[in-house]
Amino acid sequence: MKITGSDIILLAHSTFGVLGILSALWVLVETLNAREENAGRTRRAALLAALCMSVTWIVGGYWYVHFYPLDRALILKGPWPWAHTLFMETKEHLFFITLILSFYLPIAARDKLDANAAARKMVLCVAMLIVLSGLAIEGSGAIINHGAKVALLHASQGAAR
Amino acid sequence: MNADNAKPGRSSAAFAMAASITVLFSTALAWAKDAYKPLNDFMNTLAWHNWITHGIADVILFAGLGLIFSKASGVERIAPSRLITFLVVATVVAGAGLFFWYAVF
Repeated sequence: MKITGSDIILLAHSTFGVLGILSALWVLVETLNAREENAGRTRRAALLAALCMSVTWIVGGYWYVHFYPLDRALILKGPWPWAHTLFMETKEHLFFITLILSFYLPIAARDKLDANAAARKMVLCVAMLIVLSGLAIEGSGAIINHGAKVALLHASQGAAR
Repeated sequence: MNADNAKPGRSSAAFAMAASITVLFSTALAWAKDAYKPLNDFMNTLAWHNWITHGIADVILFAGLGLIFSKASGVERIAPSRLITFLVVATVVAGAGLFFWYAVF
């Protein structure tokens, strides 16, 4: 079994993305049960969400710039070119929205959530937006991955004929 | 809890407004660089790749606007429900705007 640096970087990118989503979900659950006792935990989970999304940005950005052009060329020649033209193009820019929201989350979580209904509502909305947009991005990643797979299958079937 | 406590803190309100504007800016920039290739080429020269430049621009705008709004007094006077609605609507519009742009063009 040969695992390349590109594979590790790509898997780290999606793993940290999922950890960021889970951290935002953690913030959401803590905020639904906001008390003075869990305020510190909520803030730490919000920081973790921002940290995981930052790592996803850096690692994913490195992979996108250095390794994705080969996949893109493959996908565009395959039967699912829209895996790049629609889903990758949307995903790579939608990620910035998730990133900005995850940077905002620790700031919003600094308020006294147990005593402030408006601050609580803000954190709930931001955490929910991170989870939903993050899931949309993960789903897009799966479609892009499958776009590359069907392109390879298509090419190998063509070569076998 | 009195009425004043039922508002997000000053920093929270300021950065909520900054985040709302930044996500709309980010989508507008994605449209602009897709529609106008010289802008895309220019962004490629700034930081290795247009996508990297785009991300850095978003983060700088978010931090800059957040700090400016934190010093200003106007954001505090916005009703919390409006601030939250603006952030949610901006995020949904920006996200859907990206999908429909790349679906159509």
